[in-house]
Amino acid sequence: MSSLDMSSFGYILAAIFLPLFPASMLFNWLFFRIGNVWLRSGLLLVWPQLGLWLLAAVTEEPPVGLIYWGVLTAGLYAFRACALRDFRLWTAHMATSSWALLWLAAAVNEGGYEVNLQAAAFSAPFVLLAWFIFRIESSFGAAYAGAVGGLALTVPRLAGVLVMTVLAAVATPLFPGFFVLLQTITQALMVVPGAAVMVLGVWLLWAWAGTRILQGLVFGPASSEPGADLAGVTTGLLGSVLLVLVIAGIAFAEGLA
Amino acid sequence: MTGSLGQKLRIRAMVYVAGKPVPFFWPMRAFIHHNPLHGFEHLAFDEAVATGMRLFHASGFLPRATYQQYLADGRVDRRALERDVQRFVDSQQLSLPTDLASWLVTELLEHDGQAVERMTFASPEDVHSALSGSPLTEIADADPEALGAGLRKELLCGQPTYEVADALFGTTIGTELDERVIKACLDFFDEGQSVWSMPNRERGFFRAWLDVAGRDVRKTLRELLRQESTESGDDPETVITLVLTALQVPEEQWVAYLTRELARLHGWVGFIRWRSTAGHYYWQRLYPGDLVDYVAVRMLLALTLLRKRTQSAIPYTVGGVMEAIRSNPREMYLRREFYGNDTFVQMAHDLEDAVLRRNGARIDRVFVEYRDRKRKFEAERQAELLLESAQRAGCADALRRLSPEELSSLLAALQAFQKQEGKIWLKAMEARAMSSLLQGLSLQPEPPRERRPFAKALFCIDTRSERIRRHLESIGDYQTYGIAGFFGVPVSFMELGKGSENHLCPVILTPKNLVMEMTYAGIQDAAALTALEKALHELKESVLTPFVTVEAIGILFGFDMVGKTLLPATYNRWRKRLREERPASHLMLDKLTRGQADSVVRAVQRAVIVKAVEQEFRLEPEQISDFMVRELREAALARQTGCPEFAAITGLDEDGVNTFIHRLRDAYRINQSFAQLQLERLGRIGFTPDEQARFVAQALLSIGLTNEFSRFILLVGHGSSSENNPYESALDCGACGGSHGLVSARVLAQMANKPEVRRRLRAQGIDIPDDARFVPALHNTTTDELRLHDLALLPPKHLIYLDRLRKGLTAASRLCAQERLPSLQEHARMQDPAVAFRRARRNAMDWSQVRPEWGLSGNAYFIIGRRSLTRSETLDGRAFLHSYDYRLDPNRRLLENILTGPLVVGQWINMEHYFSTVDNERFGSGSKVYHNVAGRFGVMTGNLSDLRTGLPSQTVLDRGQPYHQPMRLITVIEAPFAQAENAVEDVVAVKQLVRNGWIRLLIIDPETSTVCLYDKGEWRKQAFVEGAEETVFQELLSP
Repeated sequence: MSSLDMSSFGYILAAIFLPLFPASMLFNWLFFRIGNVWLRSGLLLVWPQLGLWLLAAVTEEPPVGLIYWGVLTAGLYAFRACALRDFRLWTAHMATSSWALLWLAAAVNEGGYEVNLQAAAFSAPFVLLAWFIFRIESSFGAAYAGAVGGLALTVPRLAGVLVMTVLAAVATPLFPGFFVLLQTITQALMVVPGAAVMVLGVWLLWAWAGTRILQGLVFGPASSEPGADLAGVTTGLLGSVLLVLVIAGIAFAEGLA
Repeated sequence: MTGSLGQKLRIRAMVYVAGKPVPFFWPMRAFIHHNPLHGFEHLAFDEAVATGMRLFHASGFLPRATYQQYLADGRVDRRALERDVQRFVDSQQLSLPTDLASWLVTELLEHDGQAVERMTFASPEDVHSALSGSPLTEIADADPEALGAGLRKELLCGQPTYEVADALFGTTIGTELDERVIKACLDFFDEGQSVWSMPNRERGFFRAWLDVAGRDVRKTLRELLRQESTESGDDPETVITLVLTALQVPEEQWVAYLTRELARLHGWVGFIRWRSTAGHYYWQRLYPGDLVDYVAVRMLLALTLLRKRTQSAIPYTVGGVMEAIRSNPREMYLRREFYGNDTFVQMAHDLEDAVLRRNGARIDRVFVEYRDRKRKFEAERQAELLLESAQRAGCADALRRLSPEELSSLLAALQAFQKQEGKIWLKAMEARAMSSLLQGLSLQPEPPRERRPFAKALFCIDTRSERIRRHLESIGDYQTYGIAGFFGVPVSFMELGKGSENHLCPVILTPKNLVMEMTYAGIQDAAALTALEKALHELKESVLTPFVTVEAIGILFGFDMVGKTLLPATYNRWRKRLREERPASHLMLDKLTRGQADSVVRAVQRAVIVKAVEQEFRLEPEQISDFMVRELREAALARQTGCPEFAAITGLDEDGVNTFIHRLRDAYRINQSFAQLQLERLGRIGFTPDEQARFVAQALLSIGLTNEFSRFILLVGHGSSSENNPYESALDCGACGGSHGLVSARVLAQMANKPEVRRRLRAQGIDIPDDARFVPALHNTTTDELRLHDLALLPPKHLIYLDRLRKGLTAASRLCAQERLPSLQEHARMQDPAVAFRRARRNAMDWSQVRPEWGLSGNAYFIIGRRSLTRSETLDGRAFLHSYDYRLDPNRRLLENILTGPLVVGQWINMEHYFSTVDNERFGSGSKVYHNVAGRFGVMTGNLSDLRTGLPSQTVLDRGQPYHQPMRLITVIEAPFAQAENAVEDVVAVKQLVRNGWIRLLIIDPETSTVCLYDKGEWRKQAFVEGAEETVFQELLSP
């Protein structure tokens, strides 16, 4: 098999794990159907790392077109996430959107494990969200914004930690996603400035999608079926994880400097 | 046809009828407590509550958990509760192998949740299967006809079509419509808050709005008119007809449809309803607007939005929706489930997917799956709830043994019980409140006195007077009485410096007599500080100046803010010193004679002529002689021809003089007909001596004060004072139309102190000694301060007793503050009275204080009787106390007056508090923290909402839990049974309230020592035992 064929095959495989539309549908299909919370978490952590490993295996630089396609895919999924009310789907779409940006991150990075760390930084909040989805689905039957709402009133601790986690997922300052995006944009401005500007648009969509899902789940009138709130210990534990994420974010910031 | 007079009148009548269920809302400058369900008072209480709940989407009773807490606190009579539960079970006529009454009581006492939930697909047989662990039976496909019929019944029975579109297609037209209507109302009804006001408001609400409405609205109207080929199109009645026709609403549903429309923004509708009936209201006369205008605005906007938002892709007419339901019943059903907030959440995603794709096969598949899963879920959930409930009651085995038919009966009974539960709790609460009241009442008459009391004081019947009366009586030789705060004299009052009248009486009365406030002081310029404040506010309100104002003088506001926040008491005292003192004033109480009235009219005409000559001919005062003014006046009144002196001074020829004379007649209204009008208006000023004597006699007789007149007879009106509080007038006197009660006190005091009035009273057998003086006073209910007024009118020999009087009043104020403060301030224990008094005054000046006082919160009783009846009981400011001595009222006239006015007002206050407590968001006004003043007559939550009616949460709730204990007004009349019963029967409004259960009525017959309770259409009687144990009255209260 020629090297061109090899690299094309490698990119196709990588496009599944660093999801590019339409290959991205596989991950979303899988994530939506897997019920086990541990499997979901594992998938969120491992999936982009597999993609990066495959990308690294292809020694050639990815074509610029693929990088733009990655940013467009990120934009597409972020845009779609704005209209989603199912929290499970929302999480899958947002994860897809952030991982699609790793094409750009991988292209502008100088190699090493940095991009793997960046992928992990993107994935970490989604792993927490996978746990929240499990928790909300167990309590309310589904995690569907609007149908399950007003968590701030009925389960304030869970709502509080959930808000922070969603903020981490949409790359709010101090969380690692923010610094990863910042780093990617600043580096990309020199190489693929068009893509860098588009990433800013994707970022805006993330914030919008985050606001909408929180609006449907956390605020508004309370759902008629109040579930049990988080125990103090669990809240503390989740808070600690978020704190670790913030510290990791600051560590990324040092790298940025 | 649409524009015919008959059709217009029909529409007007329909709107009138449709608006009846929405209660009036008065401007908040004079807050009127009212029953939010006043429109349903012709129904029995529970029926009215159920209807109101449906119409206003509100709750009519407290949550079970709160009642359970009341029970734990001893505020609910458990025996009454159990008896009513038993009565309910007996009424169901069930034959179940379980003690249902015991089960229900356990459920009420031990569980905070419902044992039965609404099931859409599952049947009792399914629940039975779930209970026995057997699989659900297969069911046939849903009959499309039945499915469609259910949807039509739910969606097309008077519901506005945009609500139907929102429920079926997920649009938000209802919300958008409400917002646009609120904006229109804010623009039109504004009373000076906006800097830029809506143009052409004098043309009426609908027409003025149409002038500035968007092009989309005008386009809709044009299309409607074109379709109907009608030309008289811009009158509101025609527009309503056209829109209802365009929406294909069947004519027999128009009233119900309009009622639903009106109930959506019931605050605004209540205000417009009141305004359109208030002929004397300045803004209504200036800018007329009524419900027909409102409905026309709303309907036209609704149609515009429906056309815009649905883009012809969504059916929005009644016919269109019916066709959609007929052709796609399953899709419409799923839509209704998904967008109607009734989704089975486990399938929410599938549902959304199906209704968005609109694929017939997919919809059929999802429908079947949805039905099966929801049915299973509902059956299992219901079985689980029932089992848990039965286990709590110890009858789980019996439940499992029930046949499907028995289970079905049980479920139906439990559902019926859920509807009645609130009423059962309420009655048990009232039973406890009644028994604890009866325990403390006394029928022992006052012992005879050797000498008259040092002072007598007449307080308003307001519940807040109970405390201060008790303390005043406890510290000295004082006797107190309760009387409606307008002292029985309905007055239309024109305050010094104001041009409009204020009605000082319950809103159910319309005063005939006008009282004017006059002063000897001349016209005064506004104080420098007031002028500065006005200038600053104008700077703030302008479009451009705020930008520079903040930089230039923002620091001044900063000082103000720091002072008000950190040192409210000191700072406010300092600011008060900067303000000009209000000059001493007198009330014009006496009727003018014909000669006096003529003289006043003449004086006014002369003054107007002088001004006219000054302005039009630039003549100096010394050039305008009395003779010239007289000849001009006579000429204008057509009593003489020619004005030689005027012509000589101005140099006008005959035509010029005649032109000016005509101008005087037309522009300055110096003419006979206007003079006649002025005479008629002057005829409203004051009272004749006979009227004055009648009012004084009636006031004294109604409270039983006909002898032993003290040297001081205090007439204590009440009012409140607070900062930054749009609800300030809600704390004032309800009997004075939401104003301070001082003017009413001054009016009666002036009347009662007149020798000619006393002479007339003496002829009626009421002999007031010459040394007895009626002194007006004001009870500030926020600070508990009692301040005497019009002391300059006291004879000198009374002054030596003033010091003792003042000391007594101060002591009572301090003791009252000491009693009241712990309920207001979380950490305040029983403090030193002086400290408590100081703190209460600070509350009144603190602009951050959202609860300066509790107001009438806690009201529960209305007691009509002698003071001796309640003297030994501490009622904690929960009782309206109206003094009444039945021995002076053999023909029941006085009692009927008390029932007609004060009791009805008391019931309004009671119901306002009741509903504001049980559902503060819908019937109350929510938290004050988010309130913004709207148009200077109401408040909104945030920057755009319905006008908030009712009471804020800070008035009735304490940290989210009710402070006010919501009960119907427990009314006690001390009088022979026949006398009291006949009085109630004679006052139709009160008879209706009693018979429909809006008031709980007890009659205590002192002649026979019996107590009688009206309940369920009959009188129950029992011997009254003074100081008896609570259980003694249980037979009466919960037989």
